[in-house]
Amino acid sequence: MTTVTETKWVGRSIRRREDPRLLVGQGTYIADLTLPGTTYVQLVRSPHAHARIRHIDISKAQNHPGVVAVLTGQEIAAAMQPILVPAMRPNLGGDLQVPTVYPLAIDKVNWVGEPIVAIVAESKYVAEDASQLVEIEYEALTALVNPEEAMKPDAPKIYEDWKSNVLWHGQLANGDVEKAFREADYILSERFYGHRTGAAPMETRGMVASYDNFTGLTLHINSQRPHILRMAISKIMRISHDKVRVIAPKDVGGAFGTKAPVYREEFIVSYLAMKLKRPVKWIENRMESLMTIGQERDQIHNLEIAVRKDGKILGVKDRMIADSGDGSNGVYMGFVMPWLGAAYLTNAYDIPNVHIDLSCVVTNKPCLSPGRAFGEFPARFAMDYAMHLVARELNLDPRDVFQKNIIKKFPYVTATGVTHDSGDYEGAFRALIEAIDYDRVKEEQKEARKNGRLIGIGFAMGAEMSGIGSQFFVPMENQPGYGSATVKVDTYGMIQVFEGDSPQGQGHETTIGQAVADELGVSIEDIYISYGDTFTTPFASGTLGNRGASYTVSAAVLACRKLRRKMQKIAAHILGLPLETEDFVFTNREVIWEQDETKRVSLLEIADVAILAPTKLPPGMEAGLEATSYFEADIASMLSIGAHAAVVEVNPETGAFKILRYVIVDDCGVPINPMLVRGQVHGGAVMGLGNALFEKYAFDEAGQPLSTTLMEYHMPSAADVPPIEMIEFNVPTPYTPLGTKGKGEGIPAPVPATLASAITDALDCPGFKILNLPITPESIWRILKELKQ
Amino acid sequence: MNQLNDVQRISMGGKKTIHVRVNGKIIEKEVPIRMLLVDFLREELGLTGTHVGCSVEGRCGACTIALNGENVKSCLQLAVQADGTNIMTVEGLGTVESLHPIQEGFWEKHGLQCGFCTPGMMISAYNLLKVNPHPSTDEIREALVGNLCRCTGYEHIIEAVKYAADTLASMSKEERDKLLTY
Repeated sequence: MTTVTETKWVGRSIRRREDPRLLVGQGTYIADLTLPGTTYVQLVRSPHAHARIRHIDISKAQNHPGVVAVLTGQEIAAAMQPILVPAMRPNLGGDLQVPTVYPLAIDKVNWVGEPIVAIVAESKYVAEDASQLVEIEYEALTALVNPEEAMKPDAPKIYEDWKSNVLWHGQLANGDVEKAFREADYILSERFYGHRTGAAPMETRGMVASYDNFTGLTLHINSQRPHILRMAISKIMRISHDKVRVIAPKDVGGAFGTKAPVYREEFIVSYLAMKLKRPVKWIENRMESLMTIGQERDQIHNLEIAVRKDGKILGVKDRMIADSGDGSNGVYMGFVMPWLGAAYLTNAYDIPNVHIDLSCVVTNKPCLSPGRAFGEFPARFAMDYAMHLVARELNLDPRDVFQKNIIKKFPYVTATGVTHDSGDYEGAFRALIEAIDYDRVKEEQKEARKNGRLIGIGFAMGAEMSGIGSQFFVPMENQPGYGSATVKVDTYGMIQVFEGDSPQGQGHETTIGQAVADELGVSIEDIYISYGDTFTTPFASGTLGNRGASYTVSAAVLACRKLRRKMQKIAAHILGLPLETEDFVFTNREVIWEQDETKRVSLLEIADVAILAPTKLPPGMEAGLEATSYFEADIASMLSIGAHAAVVEVNPETGAFKILRYVIVDDCGVPINPMLVRGQVHGGAVMGLGNALFEKYAFDEAGQPLSTTLMEYHMPSAADVPPIEMIEFNVPTPYTPLGTKGKGEGIPAPVPATLASAITDALDCPGFKILNLPITPESIWRILKELKQ
Repeated sequence: MNQLNDVQRISMGGKKTIHVRVNGKIIEKEVPIRMLLVDFLREELGLTGTHVGCSVEGRCGACTIALNGENVKSCLQLAVQADGTNIMTVEGLGTVESLHPIQEGFWEKHGLQCGFCTPGMMISAYNLLKVNPHPSTDEIREALVGNLCRCTGYEHIIEAVKYAADTLASMSKEERDKLLTY
């Protein structure tokens, strides 16, 4: 374990630099932006999960006072390519069928909420009024809401030109799985289901587009990846790249993956701004949001585990089925998440023989879109909870089963091709067992049982991605994995950093500032960070997948190091030292020669020479002080470990349970700001608790969504969750310049197996298994009731 | 959804002049009678610190303001209903130069990440501390049930409210009353 004491800013829990503006209500979110002459969009969405559109009558809406335009699917389709152009499709091998998707439905709707007509009006109130005046005749079709039914050969097809409803099918496999299963002492075989749930950020999606003939289209949008969206708009709308500028606002109200895909609305709003030559604004309302984005998970794992009697796992087979919804979102198409769930299935364990068969099936539901823990949530539930069931079946201590299988040597490449770079997973696991005081809880469990109280302990692990290198990212999403940053010293000796990723609450202004301050020997107050604008920032894939602390910060550090080489040459020149002089330290806004500390030059003077008085530069040196770096780790991918444990008490009469303790041991390499890491861990755990216990995107048999308000989609409030105890267990990675890793993405994933194993341990009832999420008192009560019968 | 086939008279015309006191300033303004209070604050007065996170269902709490001493979800009221009331939004809590102890607490304890729920969360904390100067952890959790946060897991928010309570407790009664009055 390492704590960083040798540096000045990195490793310190300083207050965030972005907070003052947010605390006084001066944040600038997308809804706060209104341009002169702005018009407002309201979308008319499908009330049917599956229907043919027979007729659309927009005349009443068009004639309504205050309405500026009414847009139908036919009109917009004529103006652009279908959204899923090759750059919007993952290249993961296997068999892929691609739906033809236009921004508005034309003759058929495939899910409740699919946009059909766009109303533009002078005010949002009028736009909403007029949306009620659009008359649409439908011919309802049978809705397919169950992927196992939808993938049957005789099922009606959602896309009539497809050969089946299977969007993507393929295998991830390595090793001799059949041999592993032949040699096994025990084979566990279960069907696990991780329901449709995910992330619902407090701020919904929103955008403001404007257009003029000279500068082209400017789209302000709370996207996680403005550069990717700019590329997509240019390609799909056939607008020259220089005429598309995407700007993410300074402040974005959370995203968690939901603001990463390329959706339809950005094309609707952009098209309307171009057509009307007026600014067009659309802010998604919560109901639209809960019908459209943030629906993730939804995987069935038919999992088989071949085990030796000492608990060593010899091989794993999994027949995975994912409910992809309509598969229409650009970049992810509703199947990259389950694919990554498959790739990460074996988690933190050394399992050489693996065969996963994955079918991603279209249904009449909204397309799966990314949500924190990207595809891993159901996979971790299946794998880690299955290991607990194995321990119970073989009468082994689950600790031993985990310890026996945890990856111990690094780098480690899984059978599915994921590289674990470094770390001490076993150490983290031991720290967890110690922190939860496992043996004592087991003693207390015995005591409590005598008094009729059922207490249980459970745990699970999560090896989460820490950014994804280009080797993996290019095929996955047609995007580079590198981090990029430009660092400039300005005329006043202040440092401006440009990053191509734009954050949504992660605190980049603080953490990048901390890293840069150390590199250039300045105070964090001397640094300002620019992001979000595709016209001024270097190309980057966006803020997602824990890329920040691993890739983007590293790029900023490398750019600083490039600059330092030039700055010390200038310093040497000013001081009359040979230009090759190396031993300078950068501290306190000065560049100091270590051999003789009286020889020092201020950063301001160096900036002055480099920018304002280039005549004083060493002969032949180019003026200016700026550098751009693209960081790619010297390894295929990096992961960071988290280990969760919970103590619960269960009431077997009602199924109600209480979380008595929840502990997380977490590794993020070198923490840049430990307070921010704790914040990520708390928030991730509570999202995991919400997903595992309360939140569910429910549909009836006709495909009607039953969770379109926050009353029905119950995200936890402060009173719904226990305190989260977090213990740092940081092992710096040798693959980034500062040893930092990303943190945030994967934290929800170990929650369901942690709780399920704790509840199972508490009940200690033969045959009791939690095979379906969410875990509710009712679900536990039902399992117990069935066992009694 | 949106299938009100016989909606004929949907133009909700009509305006009314209202008087409100917002963050200490008296405001007189003519508003459409159907305008939501939150839209009045955000769009008519430019007080965009009050946010909208749900579809006018009152669950998310991002639009919470203090109105005549109560927590009010400004998406659930019309502007005309607020006629004659005394309102405080986040903009009235403190300034960057002189942060309110609640704002200081949120900053010091990292009680915010994306910041979207924060204004409403702080207003709920304000009304809690007004009636309960020394809340327990459970009391804080209970007082904040009307405000959802998706980033922090609430842990640091609770620390922030405790920090604010401690700061206020260390002040003179006069100072404290001033900070809890609008």
